[in-house]
Amino acid sequence: MATRDPSMICCFRLLFLLLFSVPLIASSSSWASMHHNNWAVLVCTSRYWFNYRHMANTLSLYRTVKRLGIPDERIILMLADDMACNMRNNYPAQVFNNENHQLNLYGDNVEVDYRGYEVTVENFMRVLTGRHDPAVPRSKRLLSDEGSHILLYMTGHGGDEFLKFQDSEELQSHDLADAVKQMKEKNRFKELLIMVDTCQAATLFNQLQSPGVLAIGSSMKGENSYSHHLDSDIGVSVVDRFTYYTLAFFEKLNMYSNASLSSLFNSYNPRTLMSTAYYRMDLYQRPLPEVPVTSFFGSVMKTIHTDAAYMGLSIPPKTEAQFLPGDGGNHQLRIENEPDLEKDGNKQTKELHCIYHEWLNLLQERFENTDAELLFRYGFGTMVFLLTISTWLLA
Amino acid sequence: MAVKEEGDTSQQGKKSRSRLILRLGALLVAHSGLVSVVCCAAGIIAFILLPVLANNTYISENALMPGSADPAFSSQEVLDANRLTMDILNRGAAKASGIEIAKLLREYIVAVGAESYYHKFVPRANKFHPLHFFSSTTDNLDLPANPSCGSFILNAVGIIRAPRGDGKETIVLVTPYNSQNTTYSDAVSLGIGFSIFSLLSHVTWLAKDIVWLAADSRYGEYTTVDSWLKDYHGPAFPGETSRIVDDACFEENNSDSLDHIKVEGHNSYVYKRAGTMAAALVLKVVDKKEEERDSLSIYAEASNGQMPNLDLINIAHYLAVHRQGLRVKIGSIIYFLKASWVKLLGEMLQHITTLAKRLNPKWKFDITSADYVEGTATLASSIYYQALGVPTGSHGAFRNYQVDAVTLEFSPRSSLNNENVRSAFLLKTGRLIEGVIRSVNNLLEKFHQSFFLYFLTAPHKYVSVGIYMIPFGILIAPLPIVAAALFSSNNGSSNKDGSWKWLQAAKVVFLIHLWAMITSLLPYVLLQLPLGTPSSFASAWAAVAICFLLITYLILWSSSIDCGWELLKSVMIVAAAIGLSLMSVINFSTAQIGAMLIVPMCLLVKPARKQTQGVFAKALMLTSNLALLVVAFPPAALLIAKTLFGASGNIDIGDFWEWAQILWSWNSATYMYLLWIHLPCWVLCLNIFLYPCIGSSSKA
Repeated sequence: MATRDPSMICCFRLLFLLLFSVPLIASSSSWASMHHNNWAVLVCTSRYWFNYRHMANTLSLYRTVKRLGIPDERIILMLADDMACNMRNNYPAQVFNNENHQLNLYGDNVEVDYRGYEVTVENFMRVLTGRHDPAVPRSKRLLSDEGSHILLYMTGHGGDEFLKFQDSEELQSHDLADAVKQMKEKNRFKELLIMVDTCQAATLFNQLQSPGVLAIGSSMKGENSYSHHLDSDIGVSVVDRFTYYTLAFFEKLNMYSNASLSSLFNSYNPRTLMSTAYYRMDLYQRPLPEVPVTSFFGSVMKTIHTDAAYMGLSIPPKTEAQFLPGDGGNHQLRIENEPDLEKDGNKQTKELHCIYHEWLNLLQERFENTDAELLFRYGFGTMVFLLTISTWLLA
Repeated sequence: MAVKEEGDTSQQGKKSRSRLILRLGALLVAHSGLVSVVCCAAGIIAFILLPVLANNTYISENALMPGSADPAFSSQEVLDANRLTMDILNRGAAKASGIEIAKLLREYIVAVGAESYYHKFVPRANKFHPLHFFSSTTDNLDLPANPSCGSFILNAVGIIRAPRGDGKETIVLVTPYNSQNTTYSDAVSLGIGFSIFSLLSHVTWLAKDIVWLAADSRYGEYTTVDSWLKDYHGPAFPGETSRIVDDACFEENNSDSLDHIKVEGHNSYVYKRAGTMAAALVLKVVDKKEEERDSLSIYAEASNGQMPNLDLINIAHYLAVHRQGLRVKIGSIIYFLKASWVKLLGEMLQHITTLAKRLNPKWKFDITSADYVEGTATLASSIYYQALGVPTGSHGAFRNYQVDAVTLEFSPRSSLNNENVRSAFLLKTGRLIEGVIRSVNNLLEKFHQSFFLYFLTAPHKYVSVGIYMIPFGILIAPLPIVAAALFSSNNGSSNKDGSWKWLQAAKVVFLIHLWAMITSLLPYVLLQLPLGTPSSFASAWAAVAICFLLITYLILWSSSIDCGWELLKSVMIVAAAIGLSLMSVINFSTAQIGAMLIVPMCLLVKPARKQTQGVFAKALMLTSNLALLVVAFPPAALLIAKTLFGASGNIDIGDFWEWAQILWSWNSATYMYLLWIHLPCWVLCLNIFLYPCIGSSSKA
């Protein structure tokens, strides 16, 4: 715990900073470099009956990320959506990803944002970069910010450095890299996980160069990605191998589990996959064994526990904040909930150039070193103080 | 000045560049003899090598996914098939009136809950229409003066509407049967057709409608299917006279079934349609009893060498071999299977390919002798049926409407009277057809991915257009070169006004072609005359044609002598080259066979009286010329082929008439090729051979 004097000095610095950064706070709703929301963009780039498995892939992943905690309003689902009601479908209005037909993926709560011929390269790029027509509703936009972790899942037919969109156009690796770069420039994500299940998926990542991007592909250059099994009742393949084993991994997890990304990556066996899964990690800073999968596939946020809201200012705090990290015993919990704080100390030097970032870092430091309760009180007190000064000045 | 100089140099550059091409051309022309020998030999060798160059077939269209779904055809459907088979045999035997079976089928179709109607028509004989080549739509309205009652044909048709489909496309299933003389295998094929139909009436995966046509093939199955297709694609006018006549006939003839008609109402004759046809399967059962396994024969050739998309054959073959364990056969010419020279060639090729493989393991020209023999026999049959231009079954009628269709002919391993054999056989065939239909049902567009122009050398091997055009191209390449050589040598030697002499030759060639065209139209006139037998028709045709030819020669006499045989040959070769190239686009097989006869003849032909040094060379030239002239004469070629391929019996002049009749009644382009390209070329060659070089006259 910090001594009293430095903390007081810090408080003054905080106050000082606060005075200058009020407009900034008003304009931004988020906290820089802290992970505090999760988004998912799930794209099925093919259509037609014989590509049933791609839609099943996407819907399975949709179901998984929903189950792990990403709410529907933060999932952009792009689907040709021509399977469930296809006249060739033995099971009208149902989609399965397994021949045992236990799990209908096309249940009650499927919100498809871009449907049918709306799934185009143009719309995909617009979603990523956020350049929409004003008339596009919020539900169809990726409203992420610099604290967002985004999962981008794509499946379809691809080739060397391209991914086919519905037999009519292609997304090239340059396009993808460009979109990601724009997103980075516009602070639309903190970390981005791109997961692609297609032939020669690894080639799609060749042009990426934005930091904070982690990419997983189902196959290397020159390899095909294969379907897992055929449903002889429906008469089509229902799931791809890479997605099947990804889903098998996630089925064992729940919202609170703390399996790391490296355990996911290690679960891919080239023999069962019939292709070599490829990870591109050079743009990603954090060590994978310490990053839980839920930081992309789930949405478990860190909750800062304050009693003040319930107790009022007058009553002094009786309990120490229990959820706050600080010592080794809580390590597991922290990993699961909010892994960002540890790294942020290292990143500080980079981000000092921005006054806004400085104050946020300071705030974070406070969180780490002192009691959140205390800080909250100081902050609240300062706000009251500022309010009185400003009203007095105006009067 | 500078500009001008530049212009000059560029012109010089152009000159030198074009000079190079010209020099190459001149080189070829100068060595035209060598070039033609090399090209002819290479072309024929490459053609013989086609079975070696054949590739394995593969399913090109992703959407088809044959065999990915388990067939639902079960023993229940086998029972259905048996029930109908027995019913047909019982009832059909009791009343052989021709419409009993159609009525029975309609009852069954209605019981399944599908739409149904009767299709009715009066068959007409195919006549010679000189202007109707390539257009299959002979008008249906020219009624015979007195349509004889009882000659009409009644087909039962059932339609299943896809429950969730858009009704824009349909798959057609045809089961031909003979209503007058219903055999057991006919009844079994109807049974299979019905059992599949009843299965499809309650499946949930249909995206295309299903039409089942039980075609009464009393007057030939092609006629029936063709007439049904005409009605399907053509507009129907309710007040049409023919229909009224037919109705009258129908009710007169079948007074005993009048009650039945009244119950059903007139509605049962209203022609109903489904969407455009995606594919059609003609289903037949033959009782051959000679195989050790149940087998499937696929017939695909339609008129004028048109083939259905290779994917359709592929899925049938794939399902038959890999799912149902049937033996798949396609037609082959037995002569080649037994000929020792083919076997010898196969053994030689086997040695060469193994040697080649040892040199470079990447070369995949690996073929065994037996494979080569079988490939050659199958390829020969494929080329023969395409060249003939006559469809090999009623699937040919569909091709006229650009619908891909094949005939699937099943034959059981032993007699169908055996209960166990029959049910196993029904199960296999039913599952195969269900699989093919389900696969076609998955299709999103017309068949377009795979080849339309190909030969089959085995059920799973094909030679595509990209490969078989090469031998043909090599074979006809020397024609323009030799023509140029003859023209230039003649021009160089003769005096100045000789440069326009070729017009004389062109006149001769043109008039001979005109004569050939008139000859090709003669049958239309002859058919109006009351000549009884085919042989009298044939002799009349020949006599008139020869008369016309003599008249033509009387007119042409002076000019044909004037121009000199070299020019005549050169123009004739040009005409032949153009004709062959055009024909290769229309019907490749005809052009290929024709080129193998015409090209050597055109290249070799020389006047018999021309002075040559050396008795041996002259004798060789004479004999080869004579042999080629005999072989290339169409009737002679037909005779030779007939004796070679083992057709015994006395040869009658009427055979040629009948043969020509087959060709024109099927609108075969081969007829036009023979009479418009082949015959004039042969006459001109004969003319050159008998050319009076030293002045003594001789008529062709």
